[in-house]
Amino acid sequence: MALLSVRNLHARVGDKDILKGIDLEVGAGEVHAIMGPNGSGKSTLASVLAGRDAYEVTKGEVLLDGKSLLELAPEARAAEGVFLAFQYPVEIPGVGNLHFLRTALNAQRRVKGLEELDAMDFLQMAKEKSKLVQLDAAFMNRSVNEGFSGGEKKRNEIFQMAVLEPRLAILDETDSGLDIDALRTVAGGVNGLRSPQRAMVVITHYQRLLDYIVPDKVHVMASGRIIRSGGRELALELEEKGYGWLGLQDGKGAATKGGEARR
Amino acid sequence: MTPGVTRYVDVASRFQARDATTPAWLQRVRQEGLAHFARLGLPTTRDEAWKYTNLAPIADGAFAPVVTAGSTAELSAVVARLALPGPRLVFVDGRLSQELSSVAGLPRGLTLKPLRDALVEDGALLEAELGQRALAAEHAFTALNAALLEDGAVLRLAPGALSEVPVQLIFLTRGDAPVLASPRILVVAGEGSEATLVETYASATGVSGQGFTNAVTEVTLGDNASLKHYRLQAEGDAAVHVGGLHVRQGRDSRFVSHNFAFGGVLARNEVHVTFAGEGGDATLNGLYVGRGTQHLDQWTALDHAVPRCTSRELYKGVLDDRARGTFHGLVKVRQDAQRTDSRQQNRNLLLSEHAQADTRPQLEILADDVKCAHGAVVGRLDAQALFYLRSRGIPRAEAERLLTYAFARELVDAVPEGPVRASVEGLLAPKLPGAPRTEVTA
Repeated sequence: MALLSVRNLHARVGDKDILKGIDLEVGAGEVHAIMGPNGSGKSTLASVLAGRDAYEVTKGEVLLDGKSLLELAPEARAAEGVFLAFQYPVEIPGVGNLHFLRTALNAQRRVKGLEELDAMDFLQMAKEKSKLVQLDAAFMNRSVNEGFSGGEKKRNEIFQMAVLEPRLAILDETDSGLDIDALRTVAGGVNGLRSPQRAMVVITHYQRLLDYIVPDKVHVMASGRIIRSGGRELALELEEKGYGWLGLQDGKGAATKGGEARR
Repeated sequence: MTPGVTRYVDVASRFQARDATTPAWLQRVRQEGLAHFARLGLPTTRDEAWKYTNLAPIADGAFAPVVTAGSTAELSAVVARLALPGPRLVFVDGRLSQELSSVAGLPRGLTLKPLRDALVEDGALLEAELGQRALAAEHAFTALNAALLEDGAVLRLAPGALSEVPVQLIFLTRGDAPVLASPRILVVAGEGSEATLVETYASATGVSGQGFTNAVTEVTLGDNASLKHYRLQAEGDAAVHVGGLHVRQGRDSRFVSHNFAFGGVLARNEVHVTFAGEGGDATLNGLYVGRGTQHLDQWTALDHAVPRCTSRELYKGVLDDRARGTFHGLVKVRQDAQRTDSRQQNRNLLLSEHAQADTRPQLEILADDVKCAHGAVVGRLDAQALFYLRSRGIPRAEAERLLTYAFARELVDAVPEGPVRASVEGLLAPKLPGAPRTEVTA
């Protein structure tokens, strides 16, 4: 059984259909990349999986280890093991990063019937995990993402993922806004979290990220559907030929060469 | 006069007739207060300054002063919970409680006296100072307070006196009867002196206490003097509170007001600051947190009467259930007050469909070389932030509490770390349960 099964998923915002029948199976231990031009619905898919209520699911189902996710609140999905690394991590002034993360971890542990971690034990664990993405202790003590640079925000996302140890990690454009050094650090953190028990869905516009996080499968999305799936070579082919190769318009730059085309 | 006003006038007349030994000047202060109150009556929502605040809970005139505090020993546990380390005077139902007060540890250069003693011993000073900042002729509640003048406190700082230890005044209402308490506080800070004054208002019976407190505080800061003033207004949810803080700042003086309004079914907290000497600096911080049917009214007025003064004002409101919060912030920059630097900000967070916030920044700028900024916001919890927290596994209600406290804490964090901050946190905790347990830092 696949760890994640998405079947014929349709979703919309208001009366605008965005996802028009997504099918996706991701097995434990696998990393799947979802590529596609802007507006193809990649980020919507990520949001719908995590339970953002701005989207209305009109058809289809999403199963995590065979259990249906769609009727669960975001926090219940998190407790089931869903983790979304945000494209734009939210700044939350006044909420300390560590306090936030301990509250989150303990909420998940309560659901699982596990004992909560006290501040000391948590701190020790968090320090250990922060090494994975070289997140400085100073950032752990600040308000969540407040005043963080783009790279620091993305590292903080991966740090959270390391602490929360999700079953399914969805990385939404984790490469956007990163210079090459930050990209290497973040990708290194993600690779360190690959595990036979975990599935990852890596959403990206650019092939560049996939040089560092090598996927088992690549899917190309367009207009709310997956129009092609293949191995890693599909991403390389896209880089070579651009989205136009698949007959796709991408007004804001193709999937080519290192992704210097910034949005 | 409305029947309610007539009742308060009768009560005050009887109070004034009670004591024939009163010095003539004090009799005059009280009589003038009474006359002004009788003339002004209670404000109504037709008065511009009371547009959003309906005084119905006290309008029938049902509240009256008590003669003494009576036996207060049973309140020592309540006082222990509220007390800061340092000297304090404690008042119960508006009357001094000797047994709960303690002025031990009063730093050198500070004089703290119950008003009733000072009225006898320091007549000349009080005659000169009382009613100079808070004008009975212009404010019905100041007038009513003057008519019933008897208890309160006088804090004097000798020139150059420096105190790290906060001086605390605790005003308890028993909450079991419709008592009118009318404390008057007088602060006279000599040149170059520095001190911290904390006024704590609470109900001995916890959340259900009734009572009507009408407090007036007058502060005169000498040149280069500095005062941190805290008002922790946390009576029970049935109490009524009207508080007026009136400050006159001398040259290069510094004044910081932290106004925490948590309690009462109806509370009005006024802060009036007048810059009378150049180079003055005033910071007005306010946090009001209402739930149920609480009505919390903040009214501030900054008078930049002279050049080169700086004012910073930040008021935040958190309103749940059917609570209503109002903010009125007047900044007046007179023609001569060139190089005034003033910033005012009011932000409100509504937690329920039925909560309401009214915000009225009001700038009157007559000088041309000034920096003045103001902003007002009424909003709800940020949906993005809420989703972010929930996506990490934090249940909705807990996430909402976290974000609510995060909104409010800027004003709590503005209080320097120490016993006063701890006291604020303690009074806030039952109203905003999202406060973080102390986190070990990395």
